[in-house]
Amino acid sequence: MAAELEGSKSLSGLLSGLAQDTFYGHPGITEELLRSQLYPEVSPEEFRPFLAKMKGILKSIASADMDFNQLEAFLTAQTKKQGGITPEQAAVISRFWKSHKTKIRESLMNQSRWDSGLRGLSWRVDGKSQSRHSPQIHTPVAIMELEIGKSGQRTLLLQDLYKSKCKDLYLPVWSLTNGLHLEAPESEFLCLEFDELKVNQVLKKLSEVEESISTLMQPA
Amino acid sequence: MVGSLNRVMEESGEPQLDAKSKVTNQLIDFQWKLGMAVSSDSCRSLKYPYVAVMLKVADHSGQVKNKSFEMTIPQFQNFYRQFKEIAAIIETV
Repeated sequence: MAAELEGSKSLSGLLSGLAQDTFYGHPGITEELLRSQLYPEVSPEEFRPFLAKMKGILKSIASADMDFNQLEAFLTAQTKKQGGITPEQAAVISRFWKSHKTKIRESLMNQSRWDSGLRGLSWRVDGKSQSRHSPQIHTPVAIMELEIGKSGQRTLLLQDLYKSKCKDLYLPVWSLTNGLHLEAPESEFLCLEFDELKVNQVLKKLSEVEESISTLMQPA
Repeated sequence: MVGSLNRVMEESGEPQLDAKSKVTNQLIDFQWKLGMAVSSDSCRSLKYPYVAVMLKVADHSGQVKNKSFEMTIPQFQNFYRQFKEIAAIIETV
């Protein structure tokens, strides 16, 4: 294995790039981009299996949503394997997972959400009104607007890029995205009107949901 | 100004609030489901609960449509909390 591959300096950046591609769905993170930016001294032929190995390790860790004990056991086993990883590389991977675990998990959860989500909610209550000429006293009404749309995960992406320590990737990725703003998918706005009776009917249903959640969350 | 408002109400015979019903919908039915995502193609160990909601709504013309969406548990808690707030306010108005 080329000396450069054994080092752990660029590995952190590589893992960031892999995460962008594999978990955050960011387009344009090619093998060639990663090699030229992070391991320019390494030939494509040597880089390919190395990249595949790291990708495989990262995917296994994420797929199993490993806790820190499982992670240590898994990485130790990888260091003992023929053609595995070095202890230094294991340390880099471990650090990476510990700091990115939550974000990656959220990303994987979002990838599995295919239905629309509730992206926003606003409401107001209109009060009683009376007219001198109309005998009716109008009942109060709640007007609620729901914003329903697909997961807006992509808007988080560029914030991650800024925070990422992999400065080497900024420039090429910047030119790929053509600017700061990744468009969030379009939402549908649903406006609903409720009288007091309806509000209480819905409230009753919501309390049933709450009860179900409590039952589910109870320790077995 | 007040005089003309009263005239509008007399002519239409409907409360002024109903003008909004041209753009608002009435909720006909509210169905819910508490689900648990266990595993997926990209993640064998997902384990997250979610609330799925199916609303049956009718617009001003009476046309009925189904709208569905999912909420995470924290989103649902927020949704529930807001509804409780609405209920408290609508009661006092």
